[in-house]
Amino acid sequence: MKKLLLALALLAGTAQAQTLRIGMAAQDVGRLDPHFAVSTIDRVAVAWMFNGLVRFPPGSIDPSKMEPDLAERWESSADGKTWTFFLRRGVQFHGGFGELTADDVVFSLRRAGTAATSAFSADFRAFESVEAVDPLTVRITLRENVPNLLGIVTNYSGGYIVSRRAATERGDGFARAPIGTGPFALERVTPNASAEFVAHPQYFRGAPQIQRISYRFIPSDASRDLAFQNRELDINYGRADQTWLTRTRALPGVTVEVFEPGELTILNLDTTRPPFNDLRIRQAVAHAINRPEMVRFRGADVSREAQSLVPRGYLGFTADNGLLGFDLARARALLTEAGHPNGITIRVVHTQLPEMLNGMQVIQQQLRRAGITLDLQVVEHATFHQQIRQNLSPLVYYAAARFPVADIYLNQFFHGRSRVGTPTAVTNFSHCDMADGQIDAARVSTNPAEQLRLWAEAQRLLVTAVCGVPVFETLLVFARRNTVDYGYPLTGSMSLGPLITEATTLRP
Amino acid sequence: MMGFVIRRLLAAIPTLLAVLTLVFIIVRIVPGDPAMVILGDQATPEAAAALRSRLGIDVPIWTQYLRFVGAALTGDFGASMVTSRPILAEVGAVLPHTVDLTLAAMLVGVAVGVPVGIWAALHRNGAIDVAARLLSLIGLSFPVFVSGIFLLLAFALHWRIFPVIGAADLSDIPDRLYKLVLPALTLGLVMAAYITRVTRSAMLASLSEDYIRTARAKGVPWRRVVWVHGLRNASLPIVTVVGLYVGILIGNSVLTEIVFNRPGLGKVIVGALNQRDYTMLQGLMVIYCFLIVVVNLVTDLLYGVLDPRVKT
Repeated sequence: MKKLLLALALLAGTAQAQTLRIGMAAQDVGRLDPHFAVSTIDRVAVAWMFNGLVRFPPGSIDPSKMEPDLAERWESSADGKTWTFFLRRGVQFHGGFGELTADDVVFSLRRAGTAATSAFSADFRAFESVEAVDPLTVRITLRENVPNLLGIVTNYSGGYIVSRRAATERGDGFARAPIGTGPFALERVTPNASAEFVAHPQYFRGAPQIQRISYRFIPSDASRDLAFQNRELDINYGRADQTWLTRTRALPGVTVEVFEPGELTILNLDTTRPPFNDLRIRQAVAHAINRPEMVRFRGADVSREAQSLVPRGYLGFTADNGLLGFDLARARALLTEAGHPNGITIRVVHTQLPEMLNGMQVIQQQLRRAGITLDLQVVEHATFHQQIRQNLSPLVYYAAARFPVADIYLNQFFHGRSRVGTPTAVTNFSHCDMADGQIDAARVSTNPAEQLRLWAEAQRLLVTAVCGVPVFETLLVFARRNTVDYGYPLTGSMSLGPLITEATTLRP
Repeated sequence: MMGFVIRRLLAAIPTLLAVLTLVFIIVRIVPGDPAMVILGDQATPEAAAALRSRLGIDVPIWTQYLRFVGAALTGDFGASMVTSRPILAEVGAVLPHTVDLTLAAMLVGVAVGVPVGIWAALHRNGAIDVAARLLSLIGLSFPVFVSGIFLLLAFALHWRIFPVIGAADLSDIPDRLYKLVLPALTLGLVMAAYITRVTRSAMLASLSEDYIRTARAKGVPWRRVVWVHGLRNASLPIVTVVGLYVGILIGNSVLTEIVFNRPGLGKVIVGALNQRDYTMLQGLMVIYCFLIVVVNLVTDLLYGVLDPRVKT
């Protein structure tokens, strides 16, 4: 019997050679069309298949270090409203879809900027036109300045370039048979099991050293960890949890990388409705939050204290904003001043997603010490997203990472235009609009120093008004066997996972 | 026989229609917007509206219903709202995994449950009976995500005989069988616990019947009395339980599928529900309902084979 099993195991194992096996905490991929890739599992995979005009150096999310990708160089007009990109010659799409031309770039950027064909169309609001000057030159004209044009055409969200012919011919089917120029091409998706990628031998930076990637969907943390320990995975999606990190780091031949971007968790307080239309109650919440305690709970290696309403390290972030510190006595005094000497109970809608629920339960305990009782209405995650956008919760616990420039975060979370319940809503749950002037002025400013000053001022205004209480930031965690060498130090990834490049290697 | 099958299949049509309608209503009552799930949290209302229009969920609910029923009657279940993969292809890709697991678990359940149940009945209130009842109680009490993890720890991590990842390549039969062992044991042992209890009580009832006493008085060997006279008459409740359980397994083996990383119908249903994938849920429920009808039909046909008094 044992011989039979071993024979079966050997037969089953032969197909595994030369394949990089990556375990991901998800049940399935969604849409592998880069312009609809919004979930972590999709973003990670899309980054292996597509390029932008420019890119973050692999392993970095520093917007000041953008480097050429499909464009070998670019130039901009003095007023910053006209940008010209000169494309590399001879870049080949997957699957024999031919050579990249300016037509593909024009098509891709227009497609990414159209609400019907992209989840990121809002990023392209300032685009007036995108046109092909010649087969290898693209010109972008802006209506108004944007803080970081390169950030829109980089290898992130709407910046990915698709094959015009493939997208046109395949229509909706492009999401399941995407064609890009990246080092890996999608071979097939087995629903609920895996997505298989093969190396793109004509990749313009050289043929990848890894021949295949097997991207496995393993939603159970325990099973994924067991598979990693059992050497059935080379790379494992990690948990932002100190216990997990310590345990995994102790495994022989394993390296755990903790990297940017940090996901900032904010308690957004609806300033237009009771009880948070009273500044004193918002301040009481701010004083009741004990950030060091929360970081101890999450783990010092995977989280850090939040310092502003913009994540740390983003261009424009400032810690000099008057953030209120932990002071239980002051919190209780403010509640009493506001007419609640015996405390206050607030009904809050929250998700049952375990990592968010755990965090909220700690916050619930912290607020209780100050006399603020959160009556949590725990709902399923999709329901949570719908209800918080219907203004059904005066306090919204929300965690997010965005493109690392303050403009995006401030616009989406704290600009009046983004207030939930309005036709232009995004994620402004606090309904604050007192910093709109600064946010708008910074957006169109061509003076970097002035821009930084305006963003800092906006943060000071929003923090003083306690539109939200920043609590902590959670970093990304992935574990790999030491047989895997990414080919670069992994300190950050805008695709939210390790970028597998032509230089990535896998030793037997 | 053929008339019976046709009548049963025709009788299933109203059931399928009722299921279609109920599923259609329920998935739309549940809060949550498919457009938000697809577009993510940075989407503008304009983008969400454009997507709703493209998905056809911005038209009146009656129009959506008629479109759905009309398409379903022609066998067209459309494509998943989230992945845009055709639903029949999606189901076709996972169904063999579900069938493998269901049949293998049933095999384990029957192969273990029936003999142990008979053995317990033959030793009523003895040590063997007590042990069998205790073990079946443990089997019923252990959730599969606990027993599954124990099996993985023992057979995958400690002895390294089986893999943790149970998703097999369908075209690779050895791989398929190899990766089926642990999941089938996990589910099959729970099923065996049920079958043990049902077999025991059915056998106890059967063995106390007059015809058993008569058979023994005639001098029929005891083994034949038990396996032919006793078991055959006790088999109706056993077949009923197996039929019901197989129906449950088809859609409810989701925990086993998650623990062993296997694709399967249950996992697809849960995923579609989480993502508010209306079209996928509707298509899956129709297919699931059809499978249940088929399983019940087979169970009914088996009644006729096992007991000639049951007219088909």
